[in-house]
Formats: sequence, structure tokens, C-alpha cells
Amino acid sequence: MEGEVHELVRAALRRLGGDYPEDEWGFDEEFVRMVEPLLGLLHDVWWRVSTAGVANVPARGRAMLVANHAGILPWDAMMMSFAIQRRHTQPRHPRFLALNWAFELPYVSVAIRKLGGVVASPHNASRLLEQDRLVAVFPEGVKGTGKPFRERYRLQRFGRGGFVEVALRTGAPIIPVAVVGSEEIYPKLGEAPVLARLLGAPFFPLTPTFPWLGPLGAVPLPSRWRIEFCEPIETAGYGREAAEDRSLVLELSERVRDIIQGKLLENLVKRGPAFL
Amino acid sequence: MKTSATEGPGPSHGADVAGRRILITGVGSFFGARLARRLEADPDFEYVAGLDTRPPGIELRRTEYIHADIRDPAVAGLVPPTRVDTIVHNQIVRRPGPGMSSAAMHDVNVIGSLQLLAACEKTPEIRNLVVRGSAGIYGAEPHAPQFFSEDMARLYPLRTRFQRDVGEIENLFATHSRRHPHVVCTMLRYQPAIGPSLDSQVARYLSLPVAPTYLGFDPRLQLVHEEDGLEALVAAVHRPVRGAVNVAGPGTIGLSRLLRMARRMSLPVLGPLFGPIADGMRRAGHAELSTDFRRLLRYGRGVDTHRLQHEVGFNPSFTTLAAVQDYISGSAGRPAPASRALA
Repeated sequence: MEGEVHELVRAALRRLGGDYPEDEWGFDEEFVRMVEPLLGLLHDVWWRVSTAGVANVPARGRAMLVANHAGILPWDAMMMSFAIQRRHTQPRHPRFLALNWAFELPYVSVAIRKLGGVVASPHNASRLLEQDRLVAVFPEGVKGTGKPFRERYRLQRFGRGGFVEVALRTGAPIIPVAVVGSEEIYPKLGEAPVLARLLGAPFFPLTPTFPWLGPLGAVPLPSRWRIEFCEPIETAGYGREAAEDRSLVLELSERVRDIIQGKLLENLVKRGPAFL
Repeated sequence: MKTSATEGPGPSHGADVAGRRILITGVGSFFGARLARRLEADPDFEYVAGLDTRPPGIELRRTEYIHADIRDPAVAGLVPPTRVDTIVHNQIVRRPGPGMSSAAMHDVNVIGSLQLLAACEKTPEIRNLVVRGSAGIYGAEPHAPQFFSEDMARLYPLRTRFQRDVGEIENLFATHSRRHPHVVCTMLRYQPAIGPSLDSQVARYLSLPVAPTYLGFDPRLQLVHEEDGLEALVAAVHRPVRGAVNVAGPGTIGLSRLLRMARRMSLPVLGPLFGPIADGMRRAGHAELSTDFRRLLRYGRGVDTHRLQHEVGFNPSFTTLAAVQDYISGSAGRPAPASRALA
């Protein structure tokens, strides 16, 4: 125990001297390792995450994880990442596309970047995939983020299928991921559009705890989670030019959406009650 | 040195037969003077001239110094007799400094470029124009792609005066190269430079007694080492390509990491208070932070350097991190950059 404390203090001092790794995206692997105990606690105790199909995540090479999404803070991406660290035989850190607005927020933007988040832009996704990385995207975008509680696990439209275009252009396989539990952690009951306008936010959520309890209201509820990684859909066979084929893009996008929606319903039944 | 453009008809300047003739504007600046010294040592260049109001700060052997103000219409009469085939336009002011108002800066940048292009039209030998421009045209935006490629210059509105200057300069040169298709125009978009002997915005920022930062923000910065900044100009002179090319060291560095490595104390400031505090420091006699640089300190900027490496064929020898390390080890024990003479 004492040794651990010493180790932590030494690491902190070294970091204060600017000696820590950081890649061109601002991803800081050491920072990730430092917060992993907290993520582990959330994973094991708070959300009791169970995982299926983690072997469908390739151990190397480019791949795109496509998942459902709710909430401004990327807890779902964090749990997908941690589940891969915990359960995969050859774990790797996925990078994830985060809501643009999060990058205007003090502290939040820094933490998200250090954890592997990038601005949700097809340019970023393409570059990451060309570097043969694992990239998580949430095509519901802002519509998913602001989903009211009664619409939980009903997938919104997948934008204009931009994620499929990126996958086709880079030849990255698409791995649909269903995340059950993440859509109950911030039950959005209403909105305060005036406040949202004042803050320049896409929306201002009202939940049973937020903003009534102040910062405590940002503590996510302890729902029970299930994450299922589905079988990869290969895209390399279509060729790069297929990214310009609109009907193919929309068809693939719809197929991915159907898979995730089906798996969501299946896992909802398997999970049972949300909070017990 | 064989030259070739990657797009369009290849330029055929007299380089293959006789030596090349080159004019450098802003020869009194750090990069201008060093570029002149570099090229006069190269036997491929039979004639090197430098135009500026300030004479070069280092000793040059055979560079002809033309004392002229680039804003002056007389420039149109001074350039043609030199019969140069290449002009390196290195007179773009990046920050209003002591002795230069922002209006004068705008004049040098835009009217200066205009006068230079007018002179080019009267110089039929011209084949290449190389501009030391700025990646500032991309801006610093929270939602921007993390690496701008050359085709993303107009993703966001041009917010600052300097950005609009750069936008106008790029338009002037783009129009010129459209009207004169035999002239290859290379627009180099530089990220901020750093180095042990260079007085740059980053160096001035690091010279402040405490470095103000935006509370809760830690932008990614991408820099170019002074030597790479110079060599990129040389490479573009030797191998001109059409259009814009980003110039930066590979990789990025977080601002907080940069400050920690440089052992600078930072002063995190709430967004709205940053301006007044930075202005107060300037009034107290410290370096001024330009509007562009302030935005950079909040949101950062990265650029893609694929074109520089694969089309110009120049690989920077310093990554952003290495450039910072070299600056720190090289500037240790030196006087603060503000009091250092402009090289």
C-alpha cells in the first residue's frame, strides 16, 4: 500500500515536470491508467457491466465500433473501452468521437481528449482509421444525446450515414455495439431551452437530480449494464469508391442500425429490471 | 537541382541552363536573412537579392540588398531589372509589435503583397512565387478537425484581423497564379515557430513572468522549429508545388505540458478575464499576445503535413516536442526574448 502511494507521488511529480506521453491527438495513456481504478469501480460495482462478444473486436488493425448513445458525457465510450481492457485477450484503447459541444467545456474537454476522445468529424475518424486504430462512433449524434427518457433504446436516425462513408473509404470493418444501461443513467424528463440558449448548449437536460442537486446531479444513476459487441461487417470488399454510392451507404447504415436495435431489445430482456 | 511541379505544367526556369535568380522580401527578418545566407552558398543560384527596410542582421556575402518599403509603388520599378525567376515573399507581419500599429501591419501584409504582385507582372522571367504564409488562416476552433488539411482553409469564418489579412493575401496570390498559369505559386502555411535564436510569439509568451492560460483548457499546439522553418523555404524554392502547403513539425503538445517542461508558472484565468489580464501585462511592459495567439491558447490547432512531406519532399527534423525541447535547452541562461535583438 505504502509502495503504491510512493509510486503515485512519484508519477505526480514527474507529470508536473511535463514528463508524460501524449500522442498527436492529445491521448494520454498514463492518464487513462491513472483513472482506470475509478472506471473499474463504475464497471464492477456501480453499473455491474456484463459483456458479450468481445472477441469480435479485432486485436489489431483498423475497425469502427458503432453504438447507441445517450447523455453528454461519454460514459458509454468509457465503459466500452474498459470492457475491452478487462475482457479482451489483447486489449487496446479505442478512440471515440465525442459531441462537439463537449470541447467547449472547461475541464471536460481536457479529460475527454486525454481519454481518447476527438471532435466528431469525419476528418478525424478517417485519419484515426488510416492510422489503424480502433474508433468508436455514435451515429445518433446530438439527437441521441438529447433523447427523452421515455424514448430510451429507440435508436434515432443515423444522420446521413457519414460513418459508413468513412468506413468504406478506409476499408474499416464495422462492429455494431449495443449498450444497455447507458440510457438510464441520466433520465431526461424535460428541457430548459432558455437556459440552453443562454449557455450556447445544444440542450439543457432536466433529470430527477440535475440541476437540482448542483454538481451532484451529474452523478450517473446506478443502472445495470450489458454491452454486446456484434459480428464485424466487412467493408473493404466494396472498394474506396463505394463511399460515393449513396444507396449503398444508406443501406449499410440502415443494416447497422437494425442490428443494434435488435440487439438492444434482446439485451434489455436479458438484463431484466434496470436498477436492481 | 531539378525542379518539378506536381500539378499542371512543370515550370521551366532558367535553372537547368544558367543559375537561378532569386529575390527575398523581408530580408531583414530572421528567416529572410538566413534564407539569403543559405542560398548564396548554393552555386545553383547565380543571383540573390533581398528587399526590406531593415538591413539583414547577419553578414551576407553576395546578396544584393535593396532598400525599399514593400508598400511603396516604387517596388514595381525595382524588381524587373533584377530579372529574377523566383521570389520568396517573406514579409508578412504576424503580430502588431512595438512600433507597428495593426493598421500598418495590415498595410504591409495586403498592400505589400499587392505591390509585389504588380512588380511580378512586369517581370516576365518570374516562374516561381513562394510565400511564407500562416496556418492562422484555419483559425483556432473548438469543433475543428484536429488536423487541418490544405483544403479546409475556409471551414470557419475569418475572425481576426490577421486572419483576414492572410485570407486576402492568399486570394491575391491565387488570382495571380490563375492569370499567369506559367507561374507556380506555393503558399506555405506556417504553424507558429519556435527555436533557441528566434523571437517568436511562443517565445514571448514563455518570457512572461507568469503565463496566463484559460482555466480548464489545455489546447494542443503544433509548432515548427526555426531550422525546419528555414529548410521548408529552401525545399519549396527547389521544388515548387502549386497551392497551399502546411508547414509544421509532426505531432502536437498540450499547452500545460509545454509550460511544465519550460518550467513556467501558469496563471489559469476564467475566460472573460483573460483579455484584461493579458492587456494589463502588456501595459506593464511585457510582451503582447495577439488575438490570434489568444485563440490558439484556448482551442489550439493541428495541421496535416502530408503534402509537405510527400509533394515538397521535405521531412522536418524536429517534431513539435523535439522543437520545444531544443528551445528549452538552447534558451537556458539567455536573456529574455523581449530584450534580445531581432536577428
